[in-house]
Amino acid sequence: MRILIVEDDLEAADAMERGLTEAGNACTRAADGEEGLTAARDGEFDVMIVDRMMPKMNGVQLIETIRREGDQTPVLFLSALGEVGDRVEGLKAGGDDYLVKPYAFAELIARVEALARRRETGSVHTLLRVGELEMDLIGRTVHRQGKEIDLQPREFQLLEFMMRHAGQSVTRTMLLEKVWEYHFDPQTNVIDVHISRLRSKIDKGFDRPMLQTVRGAGYRLDA
Amino acid sequence: MRLPRIFRTAPFRLTVIILGLFASSALAFLAYIYVATAGEATRRTDQEITREMHSLVAAYDRAGVDAVNQSLIERAASERPFLYLLMKPDQKKISGSIEESPVEKFTGAPTWASFAVTDLDAQGHTMKHPARGLQQRLSGGQVLFVGADVGEDQAYVDKITRASQGAGALVVVLGLLLGILVSRNVTRSMTGLTEVVDAVRNGDLGARAQLRGTRDEFDELAAGINEMLDRLERSMAGHRHAGDAIAHDLRSPLTRLRARLEVAYLDVEAGKGDPTQALAQALEDTDGVLKTFGAVLSIARLQAAGAAPDPVLFDPSELAANISELYEPLCEDKGIDFAAELQNDLQARGNREFLAQALANILDNAVKYTPSGGAIMLRVRRRSSGEIEFSVTDTGPGVPDGDRERVVERFVRLENSRNEPGAGLGLSLVAAVAEAHGGRLELAEGPGKVGEMGPGLRVALILPRA
Repeated sequence: MRILIVEDDLEAADAMERGLTEAGNACTRAADGEEGLTAARDGEFDVMIVDRMMPKMNGVQLIETIRREGDQTPVLFLSALGEVGDRVEGLKAGGDDYLVKPYAFAELIARVEALARRRETGSVHTLLRVGELEMDLIGRTVHRQGKEIDLQPREFQLLEFMMRHAGQSVTRTMLLEKVWEYHFDPQTNVIDVHISRLRSKIDKGFDRPMLQTVRGAGYRLDA
Repeated sequence: MRLPRIFRTAPFRLTVIILGLFASSALAFLAYIYVATAGEATRRTDQEITREMHSLVAAYDRAGVDAVNQSLIERAASERPFLYLLMKPDQKKISGSIEESPVEKFTGAPTWASFAVTDLDAQGHTMKHPARGLQQRLSGGQVLFVGADVGEDQAYVDKITRASQGAGALVVVLGLLLGILVSRNVTRSMTGLTEVVDAVRNGDLGARAQLRGTRDEFDELAAGINEMLDRLERSMAGHRHAGDAIAHDLRSPLTRLRARLEVAYLDVEAGKGDPTQALAQALEDTDGVLKTFGAVLSIARLQAAGAAPDPVLFDPSELAANISELYEPLCEDKGIDFAAELQNDLQARGNREFLAQALANILDNAVKYTPSGGAIMLRVRRRSSGEIEFSVTDTGPGVPDGDRERVVERFVRLENSRNEPGAGLGLSLVAAVAEAHGGRLELAEGPGKVGEMGPGLRVALILPRA
């Protein structure tokens, strides 16, 4: 993937660039908002990672500008401001996701991949298929190897999110934000319990597990 | 040019405005009196002149010009206040007390004229008096003029005019004095308040206005200012305290982290110990510090704002149902019986995100401390007072009566829970959320001791009526 990193903290940008490059991406860097705007106008990117507070032109202004110019590249905001209001402002300006600093690197990678993937599967499907797992979004049914799996509504949503991001790591925070729409970190392992319930339904009795635990990151659904 | 201070006060300005209004109404009043009295005097004189004229015309019609002449002579001698002039048709004087008619253009119709007569006073000075008269032609062609000296009427009117002017001046002077007096009084009442404001501006937040016990608006204002300053001082102290607390809260885990890193470094340098494990441990510690930092920041922000941001009307049972759905599997996994009792058709006002987090924190605690085989009950109901109550009751060890207040304080963890994970900020954040919503947090004993279990804890987050 081609990724634009607009971040004025050079050390943070270095770490990001190294990690993303090692994960097989091509990174371009800009150290402030104006530089970021030039880079965004010149290049073609799959995802932009934009710091919210920067000299010359802040992240919100930068994204508002490129969105006005018709650029629909997915944007991940990075910010030290984590209140609900700040988040809403970032998303309103045209951001697609919002990550509060400091973050775990696994969290950043997972979100960047999720954003890039979302663009690929932009069209509306009524049927999701990952390997032998099939989800009918209209009939609200799930089958594996042709066998129907009975899911609770929340389990269905959870599996839908995992299927839409099959092959990628998704973090617990992402699940809590996207499936439950909560933006806080519980002190207990609530998400793990939900995942293990889902796992017992889709993997139990089959020859190999599809729902994997990724150490230090979260979970991944493999075909 | 700047006016002296007293003239620049609001009460003085107000007095001047009222004075202006009062003076104009007084003026109107005096004008009415003037018209009523002076006009009345003129009207009376005119009536008398007309009556005298009629009686002379009647005499003429009865007995001719000689009779009139005769009566004029008689009347002049009787010192009647009338002035007469009887003239031939060509307006030559026949007889009378004045020499010539003041009527300049006489057409024959009855004509009124105002003029002046000269008189000698007791000292022999010439005096001019205003006079008024009526001239008319008699049926025989002669012309008769009857007038009257109106000097006394005029003097009377002059007196009224002078009295009015004097009264007006008196009103203005008294009004100004009153204005100065009122301004002085109000200014004196304000001075105390102004001094307090000045003192606060100069950094003395402890300054308070003196109450005079009059229970008037100024006392009310002073009391209001004092209360405002009390709150401000408390809030400032809270901020200072929050700063100190943040420093303390973060310093201890950071110190632990640093110590651990140092030990790991020395171990790795000495060739013993596993660097990967040391780094993993350091990362985990850092995450712990960040979590603590996040919680401290949320509490500090809520306390500083004093109110929950972006409040909306919402269904508290729906909020609780969503959170129960998140926690129910966790309870089941731990062998805890979870039940929710949610009253329908309730409404509350607040920030859903913060309230959800508060409920999650309460449930986190309950799950953490309730042993397998225990039970947790989440209940949402409306109290008879109209307040909305979210309560979580567990069958864990509970909190001894004397410690309940303390566990809400930041970072207080009871001795027997030291080995459980968590920063000890959970209930402090819940309390901060409750306070920011104008509500409160209540801790009480749970269902009581049953065998090994209990007595349990009941945590209630109470929101004011929407």
